[in-house]
Formats: sequence, structure tokens, C-alpha cells
Amino acid sequence: MRPVLGIAGYVLREAASRKFILAFMVGITLVLAVVAVSLRLEVIDGALAASRLFGKELRGNIQSIDVALRPVYQAAAFIVFYGGILFGIVACSDFAPGLMSPGRIEHLLALPIQRWHLLAGTFLGVMTLALGGTLYGTTGLVLIFGVKAGYWTVGPLVAGLMACVGFAAVYAVMLTTATLVRSAALCAASGFAFMVGGIIAGHRQDISTFFEEGLSRSAFLAVTLVLPRLSALAEAAGDIASSTPLEVRSLGTLLLGVFVFGLGALAVGFWRFEGKDY
Amino acid sequence: MTVTDSTPAIEVTNLSKTYRRAFRKTGTVALRGMDLSVPQGSAFGLIGPNGAGKTTFIKSILGIVQPTEGAVRVLGGSPEDARIRARIGYLPERLHLPHAWTPTAFLATVGRLKGLAPDPAGNLRLLERVGLSDAVGRKIGGYSKGMRQRLGLAAALIGKPDLLVLDEPTDGIDPMGRMEVRRILQEEVQRGTTLFLNSHLLAETERVCDRVAILADGRVLREGRLDELVRGASRWLARFAPGVSVEALTQAGFVQGRADGVYHVDAGDPAVLNVALDRARAAGALLVELRRDGMDLESVLLGTVGAGASRVEVAA
Repeated sequence: MRPVLGIAGYVLREAASRKFILAFMVGITLVLAVVAVSLRLEVIDGALAASRLFGKELRGNIQSIDVALRPVYQAAAFIVFYGGILFGIVACSDFAPGLMSPGRIEHLLALPIQRWHLLAGTFLGVMTLALGGTLYGTTGLVLIFGVKAGYWTVGPLVAGLMACVGFAAVYAVMLTTATLVRSAALCAASGFAFMVGGIIAGHRQDISTFFEEGLSRSAFLAVTLVLPRLSALAEAAGDIASSTPLEVRSLGTLLLGVFVFGLGALAVGFWRFEGKDY
Repeated sequence: MTVTDSTPAIEVTNLSKTYRRAFRKTGTVALRGMDLSVPQGSAFGLIGPNGAGKTTFIKSILGIVQPTEGAVRVLGGSPEDARIRARIGYLPERLHLPHAWTPTAFLATVGRLKGLAPDPAGNLRLLERVGLSDAVGRKIGGYSKGMRQRLGLAAALIGKPDLLVLDEPTDGIDPMGRMEVRRILQEEVQRGTTLFLNSHLLAETERVCDRVAILADGRVLREGRLDELVRGASRWLARFAPGVSVEALTQAGFVQGRADGVYHVDAGDPAVLNVALDRARAAGALLVELRRDGMDLESVLLGTVGAGASRVEVAA
């Protein structure tokens, strides 16, 4: 396990030196700081009586604080889910191709580590980065609204973790792509394609009605069957963040499907990497 | 298996490597049934023209490239074994270093990946040894090519490896730096480390290595002790004191050389050599120096590769 952690540390150190990622962290901090400074909530007996943003009153009905914050948390969950995955695709697309670049991969493979350590460490490093960024943003949001409104919930944190699960499946595809083609652009493209595919897969039953019955519909359903249902996962994350009943039938099955897909994609990458010459 | 001193540091038998590409029937043949044995504790140089298969060979003995055929044993084991690779220090041809890191962070990471305990003081000593003590606080991105090579060498030296595999270690390093690198490599060999050097700089190989293999077209054409390879088989160089008669020496079988008083003679047998010398002395020539007429490594390489020799000649 030590080599895996070592490679993960290598990836994280690389990430820490990227201005793009540092700028993103600064951006999250600024957004949280602006929300913390500019938003004022007046909560009386557990109900939101008034709210001001930049000193300007936001009109709305007096309602229970948990109900009032639902759309906020739901929107935040969607932003974290899709925005986080998109940012992750762009920001992390060159980690694996970078490690596999000529002059670096030879040096790494000559060290006393197994090849799978290298991929597992890269995956772990990127996921640690994604998890850290997500928890930083969502914890900040929960803390701000908790302090201002006196309403504490772990929903946004759980939603953030679900976004990380979705990103894990997408990054597994990107990592596998890197073992096939040493290109950051293709890694990002594959990640983006699978994200779009995952969004479509989440609505596959609704979309399938646009196809004529028969071969085309069956083909569409067959292709989307194996894709992770990211949009369904995002909706479930939104429901959990806003503490509303889940619309998906089984969250466990949904997560299992995404997990199995990610594991399958990683298995292909590990198999390819083991036999590849550099 | 018990590893003894007689176990070669590197031993390859019938090593072949063909790079195959998808959707193509034929591949690129890099190594064609190569046999080579590198004794432990030796300083071994691999030389050959571009495309000879030198880098592929190095990658094969490190497990970076999977051989198509043949057997590879390094330090008595398989290069696939991480415990074996832990005893190897490697400097690739074009080492790509993380630009935003400091050299100490890089060495610490390499040490950690080698499974070694953190040793910041040891890393600083290594940086000092390779001549980077003044640049410890700088980021690697600001290093010159030569400085990066030195850092790569420091990384290869981490953990006092039993086998050092260096691919163009002095590439980009200035002449003074090359001398320092040479000194470090000689110190390592004296310590008992086996050195495997691949360098285009033949003078470098000549100064550092005691054994050399010439690789061309994926085959070892010649291999042996350096002094044996560069030594002329039957040609001798004789220097006579000034005032000698050229005609008399020519009659004795000597051919005038470029420098004053220098003559060459072909004598495969000591008796033939002494007969020639006796004739020269009888003509009044005074011998002041006699040695085998050796070639430099470049001549050996050109002679071997140019001849297109397909046979493997083991000189020692």
C-alpha cells in the first residue's frame, strides 16, 4: 500500500503546483466568503422571516428554514456534481498522461513499484484531490448556513460524496484512456463523452421513446445499459442535499452500478498498462 | 537462488524484442537474439550507432519493455521483481523532472518510492556530491539541462544501489561537470557497484568503463575487456632515438609513422618482432619506446560496425 500512497502523494504534489487548481480553490474560498459576508438571514422560531443579499431584501414567504434552504442546497448539489465533474475532467486530464510521458514513466517503472501501484496511486491521488475540493466547498456552505440560520444538515456533504463517486467512474475511463493513448486531450474528451453518456443513461427510458421501436431503440437501451447513470445520481444527490424524498427507486443499486462501471473501466486500464512497453 | 560474486550482474540470453503496432502485420525489430553477460563490480559500456537497440536493451533489463523472446536476469533475479529493482539505480536518457518541485522534494519522493526511510541529510549530501549544493532551494524548472542530469544522477544514487544503469549520464553537462560525474562513477565502481553505461561519448566510455559491448542492428557484435578491444592484434609501435636511418628501418620491416622517430611494425609472433628489432639495432637504431599499436574506441566501433560483422567476438 505504501507505493500506492507514494504515487498518490506524487500526484497531489503535482496538483498543488498547478495554478489552475490553486485558482479554483481560491475561487471556492472567495464564493464562500462572499456568501458569508453578503448574506443575512433572520430566523425566528425556526422560520425564515427575512433574508438580505448585499443589503437588499429578498422577498419570499415566511417558511420553515429547512424548507427555505431546500432549493439552495439542491442547486448547490447540482453545481457541485456537474461543475465538479467538469472541472475535474479539465483539471485532471493530464495527470496520467504526464506521469506516462517519456523520461518520467521509464524512471517510475524502474523504481521498485508494481505497475498497478502507479495507476492505483494516480487514481487515489486524483480522488483525494476531488474529495478534498468537494468537502471543502460543501462543508463551507453547510457551516455558513448552519451559523447564519441555525439549521445543520449533512445532506450537502453526502451529495458532495456522491458527486465524487460519479467523478470516480468518469476518471476511471480517463485513466484507462491514458493507458491506451498518452494524450491529455483524448483523456478529457473520453471523460466528457462518458459524462454526457452518463447523463443520457440516467434518462434512458424517457429518451428511448424518441427512437422507433425495434432495433434502434433496443440498440440505444443496450448501449446506455452499461453506462453509469450519472444524471440519476445527480438527482439523488440533489434530493439528499435538500432533504427531500428520493426519486430514484434504489440508491444502493444506482451507486453499485456506478461503482461496477468504474471498476470495470479501471480493470481494462490495469490490464492494458501491465503489458505495455514504454 | 543464492547470489554469489560470480553471478553476473546482468545476464541476457537470446534476447529479442519486436515492437508491434496495432493493425500492422510486421513490427520493428529492435533486438535480435542478443546474448550478454555483465560481471558484477565491472564498469560496462554499451556502444553502438543510433537505432542499434541500446535503449531497448536497457529498458528490457529494467522490466520497462517486455522481451518478445529470451531470458533476462539482473542481480540474480528477474527485473520484474520489485526487490531486484530496489537494488538498481537508473538514469533514463531524457529524464523528465517535475518543474515545480525542489530537488530535495524530488529526492525524498524517489527515496519513498524506493521504500527507504526518509533521509533529508542524506539527500542533501547527494546533492552536494553531484554539485548541486548551491541550487538546493531552487525549483527544478529553473535548472539547466546539465543540472537536471546531475539531479537525475543523484536520484539514481539514492539507496546505494548495487547496479547503476545510466543512459547518457553526461548529456548536457559541461566538461568540468563531466569530470565530476566521472569521478562519482569511478567512486561507485570502487565501492563495488556494477556500472552499466550507455553513452554516445566514446571518450567517456573509454575513461570510465573496463568492459565494452558493441551493439548494432540488435546484436552484440563485439564484447570484452576494453584494453583487449582497443589493442591491435599484431601491430606494434616503436619509437627510436633521433638520427636513425629511415631506409635501414624500412628494410628491417618498419613503416614510418606520422611523428618523428615513430615507426610501426606488424609482428604477430614475439620472435618476428625481435628479429625486426635486432635488424633495426644492428643498423644503429636506438629503441626508446615499444608498445602495442592500440586503437581508440571510435576506431574499434567504426571498424566493427563498418565491417558489418555478424559474428560475436568475445575478446576476453
